[in-house]
Amino acid sequence: MVQRRAIVLVFPVLMLTLFLVGCPKRPATTTAAAPAPSAPAPAVSTAPAPTPGMGTMPGAAGATRPVTPGAPGAVTTPGAPGAPARPLAPREFVASADLKDIHFDFDKYDIRPGDAKMLDENAQWMKANPRYLILIEGHCDERGTNEYNLALGERRAKATVNYLVSQGVAANRMTLISYGEERQLCMEKTEECWAKNRRAHFLVKSQ
Amino acid sequence: MHRARWLGLLAWLPLLLVLTAALVSPRPSHSQAVDVFLNVMTGGAKKLNIAVPEFTLLPATDARELPKKLAEVVGADLKFSALFSVVAGTAPLPANDPEGLKKAWGEFAAAGAHAGLHGLLAVRGDRAEAEMRLYDLTSSEFRLIVAKQFVLPTAEARRLAHKIADEVVYQFTGELGIADTKIAAVGSASGSKELYVMDSDAVGATRLTSTESINLFPVWSPDARSLAFTSYMRGYPYLFRLFVFERRPIQLLAGFLGINSSPAWSPDGKFVAMTLTKDGTPDIYVMNLATGALRRLTNHWGIDTEPSWSPTGREIAFVSERAGSAHLFIMDAEGTNVRRLTPSGGFNTQPRWSPKGDVIVYTSRHGGLDLWAINVDGSNPRRLTNGPGSNESASWAPNGRHLVFQSNRLGSWQLFTMLADGSEQQPLTRGPGEFTSPSWSSRLP
Repeated sequence: MVQRRAIVLVFPVLMLTLFLVGCPKRPATTTAAAPAPSAPAPAVSTAPAPTPGMGTMPGAAGATRPVTPGAPGAVTTPGAPGAPARPLAPREFVASADLKDIHFDFDKYDIRPGDAKMLDENAQWMKANPRYLILIEGHCDERGTNEYNLALGERRAKATVNYLVSQGVAANRMTLISYGEERQLCMEKTEECWAKNRRAHFLVKSQ
Repeated sequence: MHRARWLGLLAWLPLLLVLTAALVSPRPSHSQAVDVFLNVMTGGAKKLNIAVPEFTLLPATDARELPKKLAEVVGADLKFSALFSVVAGTAPLPANDPEGLKKAWGEFAAAGAHAGLHGLLAVRGDRAEAEMRLYDLTSSEFRLIVAKQFVLPTAEARRLAHKIADEVVYQFTGELGIADTKIAAVGSASGSKELYVMDSDAVGATRLTSTESINLFPVWSPDARSLAFTSYMRGYPYLFRLFVFERRPIQLLAGFLGINSSPAWSPDGKFVAMTLTKDGTPDIYVMNLATGALRRLTNHWGIDTEPSWSPTGREIAFVSERAGSAHLFIMDAEGTNVRRLTPSGGFNTQPRWSPKGDVIVYTSRHGGLDLWAINVDGSNPRRLTNGPGSNESASWAPNGRHLVFQSNRLGSWQLFTMLADGSEQQPLTRGPGEFTSPSWSSRLP
């Protein structure tokens, strides 16, 4: 029958794949220190619990009703002995009336001259208030796909951090996070609303 | 034109083959209609007419609504396959009355039915047993093509209908249907973006997470038991794994500095490709699930993201800016032999490699966002959707014929389905809330 034949053909191909991919060389690049965000790397699960056998037992056909897993707190982090501390949680930061949002052109992450002036003022405040840590969020408008916008949002946050560092703000005071298009300030499909959403936003935490 | 003529010829073949088979094996048995094939590649192909009367409820059974419900579900699944014209839910057929059965089939045949499905249902406490008997109504004796039984817990009785419909599709095409599958998606009904799972016909949508956070990109493992996804439940965008049908805690897959996103399971389920920005810019890595070992596949200053495995696991399609704007590329699963797929211009993202291996569906911006398809050799890029609104985030059904995607053409984001050539576009979900980022599971075990 068609299906049995297909399985016979695929199996040797899978074996080949495992042989080629199953023993990866050590990656050529080690984890380079990212230029701006200097928060220590979060805990990494390096040895997730091995998946119990891929096949299902006979009679397991009943096991297809979805189960809501435990509360978010019940997340396992198997393995990773001696994992380094995680960066500060975003929820520990609060809004700041002193730090203004800056904005970006569509599909771009460079700092425009007008926004650079705003960042200069933000930098002044940061240098005058050294006991505050800063979280910089990168955001996008809703056009474009969600995955791509996560990356674009991070680029905007990084460009902002880099500019502030160039203005003398200590890099180790700043953390960044991208929200892509997931945190819209407004929902209208207008140029005005889209422009509002393409932003870097600042939060602070006193040490 | 060329295809239509071939179809015309093909329509006669089943008749001839079936008559021959009837002469050779006159007794009804577990014979297989492997000779009778439909051309499944074309939308708008000639459809087979099939009758699915209300199931016959066997004695000592308590479940009044089920017989009609199951016949209707089978009918809906067969209609969705775009291979059949269906009449479902008419009065049930007699159970042990060959003459009565023959008379009933005779009436359907006279009305134009090519095939008839007789379902027999017994519900005994916590077990539901359904037997399907598929008849060829074009043969003079209404030859039994196949008889098959399925047993499930009563709480999952609806799955019996899906399994029966999939078997009917198998008998006529040589490949199982896709009714007994699940679709995962992101839903906003609770006020935050949480993960949901639903049947392939959108029934029974169940929320899987209560993080009051942002959850994105759920992707089924090949064994249809877990979902990999990105979540902000720990503050930053990390990759997690959730076991959908087992009481197991959510597992952290990748919690590196920066973004952890775009999970993609290798076809053998042993690896997850992902996008990480921990080394500076978004690049594609492959994680060995058993050991946690990470292998970096791309090392480029721009954005490299959204990996999608070929069905053999030998290659990975992905999005890269290395040629300027966002384009699709293909590389070997080790990261070598990178070649460009999409032609010049535009913004091309979200590659989705077909389970059949020959076509990649992707999202492209030509004004708004729409779904396109391209052959894996880079030829024949063609548009599948043309607005209105945006159409993105496609996911293949395991048959390589159907796709589910998100569209805001009716106002809010909802899931839609269509065939691989862009035909038969229809809504799948209607809220509550919005649904995005669907993932179609393999056939359930």
